[in-house]
Amino acid sequence: MSELKNKIGLLRKASKTFLWISTVLMLAGTVALYFYTKKILQGEAEEELYSTEARIEDALASGRELFSLPPVMEIVREPSNGFEILKDTVIYDPSQDEMELFRELSTYRDINGQIYKITVRSLIVETEDILMAIVLSYVIILLLAFLFLYYFNSRANERLWMPFFHNLNQMKGFQVTSKTPLELKESNILEFSELSEQIRLWTDKVRADYENLKQFTEDVSHEIQTPLAIIQAKIENLINDEKLDQGQYEDLTSLQKDIQRLAQLNKRLTLLTKIDNQQFINAEHIHLVDCLEKSIDDFREISTIEIDFIKKDDIIANMDSYLANVLFSNLISNAIRHSPHGTGVHIVMKDGIFSISNHGHAPLKYPEKLFNRFYRESAGTKSTGLGLAIVKKICDMYGFGILYRFKDSIHIFEVDFRGTL
Amino acid sequence: MKYLIAEDETALQQSIATYLERDGNVCEVASDYTEAAYKVDLYDYDVIVLDINLISGSGLDVLKKLKAENKKTGVIIISANNSLDDKLEGLDLGADDYITKPFHLAELNSRIKAVLRRGKFGGEETIIFNEIKMDTRSRTVYINNKMISLTRKEFDLLLFFMTNKDKVLSKEIIAEHLWGDHSDLLDNFDFIYVHINNLRKKLTNEGAKYIKTAYGSGYKFMEEQ
Repeated sequence: MSELKNKIGLLRKASKTFLWISTVLMLAGTVALYFYTKKILQGEAEEELYSTEARIEDALASGRELFSLPPVMEIVREPSNGFEILKDTVIYDPSQDEMELFRELSTYRDINGQIYKITVRSLIVETEDILMAIVLSYVIILLLAFLFLYYFNSRANERLWMPFFHNLNQMKGFQVTSKTPLELKESNILEFSELSEQIRLWTDKVRADYENLKQFTEDVSHEIQTPLAIIQAKIENLINDEKLDQGQYEDLTSLQKDIQRLAQLNKRLTLLTKIDNQQFINAEHIHLVDCLEKSIDDFREISTIEIDFIKKDDIIANMDSYLANVLFSNLISNAIRHSPHGTGVHIVMKDGIFSISNHGHAPLKYPEKLFNRFYRESAGTKSTGLGLAIVKKICDMYGFGILYRFKDSIHIFEVDFRGTL
Repeated sequence: MKYLIAEDETALQQSIATYLERDGNVCEVASDYTEAAYKVDLYDYDVIVLDINLISGSGLDVLKKLKAENKKTGVIIISANNSLDDKLEGLDLGADDYITKPFHLAELNSRIKAVLRRGKFGGEETIIFNEIKMDTRSRTVYINNKMISLTRKEFDLLLFFMTNKDKVLSKEIIAEHLWGDHSDLLDNFDFIYVHINNLRKKLTNEGAKYIKTAYGSGYKFMEEQ
C-alpha cells in the first residue's frame, strides 16, 4: 500500500499537466506581450517627439518667435552645435507638483544661421498606464479562459474515463469466492471495450478455475474416505487374526496411525472448503471463556504440557459454536505441539483479546507463511499443516484480527475478537 | 443378533461382516439400494449398518422406508461425508447413530451395542460380563454387586473393552475412541497406560482379571483361561 501513496490519480495527472502548460504559456505570453506593447508604445512616443520637434523647427524656420513650455518643450539658443540625445529623464513637473519620468529628445538645429537646442519631452506615465491596462486585461481574459478550459476539460476527462474507473472499482471488489458477476460498464471507446472484455474473460476463468479446484479438493477428500475405511477395517480384522507375530502387529498399528493422519487431513481440508463455501451460517452469541475452558480441559487430559489460563474477562462473540471450538482447539494444539519439553502454554483472555503463548528456541524462519496451508517450520512435527490455515480462515470470515509475534523466546498468537488488531 | 450391512463397497462390507460375525452374530449384506430395500422389506434385523451413498439410491430412503413400516430396527448410518447436515438429516429421520468413514470396526461395534442396549432394555441400559455389571445410563459399575468407582475415562474404557471383548484393541483404536480428533496430539501413549493401569488395578482388586496384554502393546478383554 505504501507504494500507492506515491502514485497520482489519472485525472489529477491530466489536470496537473494542463495546469503546468497553461501557466507556462500564460507567463511567456504575458512577458512577450509586455515587451512587445512597450516597444510599440515607446516607438509611438518617440515618433511623436520627432514630429513635435519637426514642427518646432518649421515654425522657427518660418521666423516665428517661439516660447518655451517646460517641461514639455524648451527652445534655447546655443553658441555651438551638439549631438542629438534621446533619453529618459526625471524632472520636476510643476503642474503635478512632483518629480515625473519623461522621455526626452534634445536636438541642435542650425536655423537661419542660429543654433537652437530644441528639447521636447513627453510624460512616460501615460504610456506605462496604457501598457499595464493592456497586459492586465490580457492576463484576466487568459485566466478566465484557462479556468473555463480547465473546468470543462476536467469534466470531459471524467466523463471520458468514467467506464474505466467504474470497471476498476468493480475489479477492486472482485472476490474469487463470490458468485455475483462483475457489473462492467460498456463503452463505445474501443480500448475500454477491449479492456472490459478481457476483464470479463479473466475473472470468469479465475472463478471457474477456483471452483474446479475447490470441487476437486472436495471430491478427492470425499473419495479418499471409503478406501481409507476399507484399509482400516481390513487392518482391524488382520489384528484379530491369531497368526500375527509381534513385528507384523507393530506394522499394522503404525498403519492405523497413518490412516488416522490421512483421515484428519481430509477432515480439515473439508472444513476449509466448507468455510470457503460459507456453509457455517449458524452464528450465535458464544461465551468464549466457557468454550475455551472446555477445550483446555480436553487438552489437559492428553498432554503433559502445563496449560495455565488467566481469565480477566469473558468475551461474547457472534459466531458458529463449532468454529469457535475449532479455533481454540487448533491454537492450543499448535502451542502444545511446539512447546519444548518441560515448558508450559500460557493463555490469557482480556479486553476482547485471546492470547496464547508457548516457549520456542528461535523465531520462525518465514513468519509470513505461517498461515499458509501445509507450511511447516520443522519437518519433524506430525501435524496436518492445516490447523493454522483454518484458524486464519475462521478469523477472516468473522473479521477477527489475528497476529503472530516472537518475543523473548516466546511465540505469541493473539486473536482480537473485536477485530481491531 | 442379526445385522444387515448395506454398503456398496464389497471390501468394506465383507470386513464389517467378518468382524461382527466373530461374536457369533448373523450378518447379511446388501450391495445396493434395491437389495437393501428388498431385504429390509422382507426380513427383520436388530441393527442395520447403512451407507448413505448406495449405488442405486440413498441410504436415507431405506431409512424412511424402515420408519414408515414402523420396524423396531436400530440404524447406524455410515457416510463418507462428515457434514453436519447429513448427520442431522439422518438422525432426524430416526437413525440411532452416525459414524463417518474411516472408522474403527471396534468403534462401530461399540456403537451397535449401544443402540442395541437402548432398544432392548427400554431405558435400563445394562451390560453384563460375568461378575461385572455396567449401567450405562447412571454410569455405574458393579462387580459382584459391589459398586466400584471409576473415573469418566475409566468408565468409557471399560465399556469399550466389554463391548469389544475377545478383540485386540490397539492403542491407536483406544486413543481415538477416548479422545477423538485430539488423539493425534498424543506423541506417546502414556496417557492410555495410566488410564488402563488404573482401571486394571481397580478390576483386579475385585478379582476381575480380564484385561490382557496382546502383542506387547495392545489389549484384549477376555475370559480368564
